Amino acid sequence: MIATNVRRLGVYLMLAFAVVSGSIAWWQVVEAQGLSTRADNPEVIAARRSLPRGTIFDADGQVLASSEVIDGLSRRTYADPAFTHVIGYASLRFGSTGLERTFEDILVGQTDPNPIRDLVNDVLARQPQPRDLTLTIDRRLQDFAAEQLGADAGSVVALDPQTGAVLVMVSTPTFDATPISGDPGVAQEPMDALRNDPAEPLLARARQGLYVPGSVMKVFTAAAALDAGAITAETTFPDQQREEREGFVVDGFTIQEHDLGGIEPGIWPLSEALQVSSNIFFAHVGLAIGAETFLDYARRFGFCDPIRIGGQDRGLSVSPSLVTGSVDGDCGPFGDDVELASASFGQGQTAVTPVQMALVAAAIAGDGVMPAPYVVRDVRAHADGDAPSDDVLDTLGSGGGTRVVSAEAAAATRAAMVDAVNGELGRIYAGQGDITLYGISNARSAGKTGTAQLGGEQAPHSWFVGFAPAQDGATPRIAIAVLVERGGSGSAGAAPIAGRVMAEWLRLSEGG
Amino acid sequence: MRVAWRGAEFRLLLPILLLVPFGFLVTNIAIAGTADVGDLTLAIGYVALFAGAHLLLVAFGHRGDQLILPAVGAMGGVGIIMLNRLPQDLAGTSAFGLELGMAATQLLWFGVGIVAMLAIAVGLRDDGILRHYKYSWAAIGIALLAATLVLGYEVNGARLWIDLGPVSVQPGELLKIVLVIFIAGYLAETRTLLTSARMRIGFISIPPLPYFLPMLGLFGAVMLIVVRLNDLGTALLFFGIFLTMLFVATGRRSYVLIGLVLFVAGSFVVYRLFGHVQARVDIWLDPFADPLGAGFQPVRALYALGRGGIFGEGLGQGLVTLAGNLTIPFVHTDFIFTAVAEELGLLGAFALLGFAMVLVFRGLRIAALARDDFGALLAVGLTTSLGLQTLIIVGGNTKLIPLTGITLPFVSYGGSSVLASFIMIGLLLAVSHRSGTADRASGS
Repeated sequence: MIATNVRRLGVYLMLAFAVVSGSIAWWQVVEAQGLSTRADNPEVIAARRSLPRGTIFDADGQVLASSEVIDGLSRRTYADPAFTHVIGYASLRFGSTGLERTFEDILVGQTDPNPIRDLVNDVLARQPQPRDLTLTIDRRLQDFAAEQLGADAGSVVALDPQTGAVLVMVSTPTFDATPISGDPGVAQEPMDALRNDPAEPLLARARQGLYVPGSVMKVFTAAAALDAGAITAETTFPDQQREEREGFVVDGFTIQEHDLGGIEPGIWPLSEALQVSSNIFFAHVGLAIGAETFLDYARRFGFCDPIRIGGQDRGLSVSPSLVTGSVDGDCGPFGDDVELASASFGQGQTAVTPVQMALVAAAIAGDGVMPAPYVVRDVRAHADGDAPSDDVLDTLGSGGGTRVVSAEAAAATRAAMVDAVNGELGRIYAGQGDITLYGISNARSAGKTGTAQLGGEQAPHSWFVGFAPAQDGATPRIAIAVLVERGGSGSAGAAPIAGRVMAEWLRLSEGG
Repeated sequence: MRVAWRGAEFRLLLPILLLVPFGFLVTNIAIAGTADVGDLTLAIGYVALFAGAHLLLVAFGHRGDQLILPAVGAMGGVGIIMLNRLPQDLAGTSAFGLELGMAATQLLWFGVGIVAMLAIAVGLRDDGILRHYKYSWAAIGIALLAATLVLGYEVNGARLWIDLGPVSVQPGELLKIVLVIFIAGYLAETRTLLTSARMRIGFISIPPLPYFLPMLGLFGAVMLIVVRLNDLGTALLFFGIFLTMLFVATGRRSYVLIGLVLFVAGSFVVYRLFGHVQARVDIWLDPFADPLGAGFQPVRALYALGRGGIFGEGLGQGLVTLAGNLTIPFVHTDFIFTAVAEELGLLGAFALLGFAMVLVFRGLRIAALARDDFGALLAVGLTTSLGLQTLIIVGGNTKLIPLTGITLPFVSYGGSSVLASFIMIGLLLAVSHRSGTADRASGS
């Protein structure tokens, strides 16, 4: 009797030992990698404290971030505040952000980019070797874009539409990260100052700022409608001329046109409607697409999902952009047709990041293929001095693109965007985005302005999205989104910045 | 008394004991960073202790189980290697004009423990002294607890220690044994009544409460005092031992079920009443919420497990200290298992757990083969105690259950724990000897 019970007890204890064994395996096998790379792991902290971190270079081999070990503590120096919101900081006191965080294990050398070498290093218990990173951004263009924004709060994001390489990613106001990444003893005060600054310099506006897009959203609406077959480049809406004056009644709510200046209202096809930025036209287009299809295209273009610049694992995260009032960030349903019609011209509940709008521009420039953005070009052996090593350990980058609309739909949108900058009517609004104004004679730019109404007495956000070169037969080399917070109309604030930056890049990339 | 060779024990002990000096060698070299053999005195002392124990058992013709001592030797071996490799000033004694570091102190207690084990295994020819004086044992237990309550001082919020001049002892460790002896004696006597008799209230038949009362009364008193001493790990352990022995004696799962329900209900009440219990549960649920404050210790322990991975960092190569501070506070007591898992990896952790399982299943075998009910229940209680201690502390290390300050038998640093564990092994060997299980075990 007792012997039988003892045997039963044995089974129960065996099960208990099995459960406990499972819990050990959970941490030592399943969770081991995750634990070993957590930023608050003492080993990571120790490595970060005492090991030199890899250098970060710009696309041209200029040093952007470097380390030296003083009194056994690794200190980080940053060369250019224009890069702070890309590179982030590596502080002994406040942890790390940006690329310093996502590439932490590679920069301090705990992970080798080559998985086989990584395993060998592990087995041989080799000392970690710091690795260097090269960015896709050329410091000259980044600084140029930052200068254009000047004292304004805002953002410039530019991509190579063919590869997804980030060419510019500026957020202003920015800050010098060196004081909080240096001596941890004196880092608190500058950090407090940044945290208390009402201008919010710690906010990486390019990735984390959500702004009403206004008329730049019409580029998306046009491309989606053309691709879905809801309109052609010739489609017109017969009541438009009357509605321009009296308003367009949707579900009992009257949508009004913005101030067209001296332009006489007409019954316009896509090109003219985009040139004068007609809200009435795009409200019709949005309703023609239909709510479901509109949201499908929004998801295709990357709205509503967190985007990663540089892939899932080490990518910089971008906040999801919103097109509806649904708070789950999943492109939930529109409340009603008024919300859909408003979203179609970039008002309503829409709120987007500059990165998202740069991707929309890049998709049109890329014949309907939206590139996967990336900002770190390669990982290299640690350089001794200020020149990058030739020993490239890993080339990152183009994860290819996603076709979001057909080449035909992209071509028709592109033609309308060329007209919006260069056309007779368009010049009045977006003419300041014309690169020929900034010393480029042999190429044209395409684009669209946006003036995002915020309600009340607040000055609107000023937007421009576009790309260049955009004339027939040319392959665009830069797609751009510019946002100036409370910058007034798109034509006054953002368009000239975009035109200058595009022109500057054509010069720089031409000149080698 | 006739000499009886213990071949299986010899063949198992031999490689285990050879590995201990080897472990010292490896850790010495790894830590010094030079091909210097270092000091192997303690390792040789350890080998000598177990070799001596084996020879004495042979000389006295002991017929007890032959796998128990090798399992203990292996667990203790892993423990002493780790303790020797940790900073020696974590613990230690300065008694009788001697300054002993942590590993040396632990070895001293192994010596004391092995002497106690041998004395019981060989000397306890008749278990009458245990069985017949069970209420005296219970009284001794209560006295031990009362002494702790009055004389004890606190370490980490739990009042468990009594200062006896050169050494501090934890009476709770010895109380555990006394309690097992009492419960075994009581259950052996009343077990038939407990299983057959029925009380009726109307149509409902319930267990015969009067027969339970003395045991429940004592048990309740002990639990109250233990909770009062703020030693929740020990309370959990006692409760587990009690339920297990009750189950084995009666074969009734319903008793265990009722006990578990009571335990869960009681835990909930305690959780709601005591802030420090809530805090501990919160830390358990999400240690990463405050990795530098309340969650510091468990988070650091999980990192150590992660560093170990499958194959471990290598003996002597774990990240024990960082900038002069221990990476895991109380690594030598509460987190010795994690330290082993870090350096020897999942494989080493499983091996250590495997040794504990050998110990547990041989203990249960002794219980199943015991000559009488008292011996069987005693063996079950002792084995359960060793097994549950292992499960509770390892589970606490891996965040499976909340962490409690229970020792891992033969591995954690601590004299009272080592002594108590060896006394339990001595009792197990004594029970085993009387049923002559050695004859059957040596066939392997």
